[in-house]
Amino acid sequence: MTAGTATETFLDLELPDHTGRTRALSEIANGDPVALFFSRGWWCPKEQRHLRGLVSIQDEFEVAYSKLVVVSVDPPEVQAAFRAGLGARFLFLSDAERLYLDELGLRETTDTVHNPYRPAAFTLYPDLRIHAAYNGYWFWGRPTLEEIRQDMRAISMAIRDDWELG
Amino acid sequence: MKREGSTLVLKGGLRVRTDPRCIRGEPVFGLWAHVCAATDRSDVLPYDHPEIQQVRREALAWWIPLLGDSLVCLTTLALDSVNYAGAITAARDPSLFGEDPFARIFPGTAIPTDLFCAVPPPAGPVVERYSGVAWPGGRF
Repeated sequence: MTAGTATETFLDLELPDHTGRTRALSEIANGDPVALFFSRGWWCPKEQRHLRGLVSIQDEFEVAYSKLVVVSVDPPEVQAAFRAGLGARFLFLSDAERLYLDELGLRETTDTVHNPYRPAAFTLYPDLRIHAAYNGYWFWGRPTLEEIRQDMRAISMAIRDDWELG
Repeated sequence: MKREGSTLVLKGGLRVRTDPRCIRGEPVFGLWAHVCAATDRSDVLPYDHPEIQQVRREALAWWIPLLGDSLVCLTTLALDSVNYAGAITAARDPSLFGEDPFARIFPGTAIPTDLFCAVPPPAGPVVERYSGVAWPGGRF
């Protein structure tokens, strides 16, 4: 899979979360839409700005039966500190061992020191089919909060049987 | 506290529903439960009250990370489809129970227990309930 494809089912990642517990993406979804973000790491100013934006939308996710997940190469204890500093209440997954960088085609080639993920975002159906994919290498390539809302609406419309008013 | 089918009967007789996963699987022995529960039906509060929403946010933000590997499961206690009657945190070590944010709603009591099962903590950020199931249980 590569970041640009939007017709496949996303890999069911299994990674430790910010508390060190192993989590599967399908278990996290648990019947809900997922907004999945790949992030370089805590040190990057672009990531700090982007994640502050995600924190600002978490109040909507918390009442909208939708999941929000961030993957980075930071170890769990670093993610836990970063998450607390941001005020985030969503899940961080740690790929400190770079297990999925190449399989996902998301290795950031311009940073050979940290070997992080290239910023990318995917909005997923509960069965992990990809609704939309975003390449966030350039900051403006990332989904805006409004695009995230629209994607969550489109997925919810498709999966919630009682969506229609009539 | 004892289990009766899909409900718990608390000391004092209040019958409540938990996240079903917490009491339906293979129990983990030798745990401690921090029971922060109403003692009477007249004390319960709606899940939709701001303080009951906020305590779930705090569980996601820092209570679960603070407990780390000690946490075995966490459930709120539903009196019915609307009302919150408390919460139980089951852990291997009771030493952090003094920090429990749920104790701000109803005071907590630590008791040894063999009733509870290991359940992955909620992923967040969802704090709403699924069809009236005690948070964080249920799904659509």
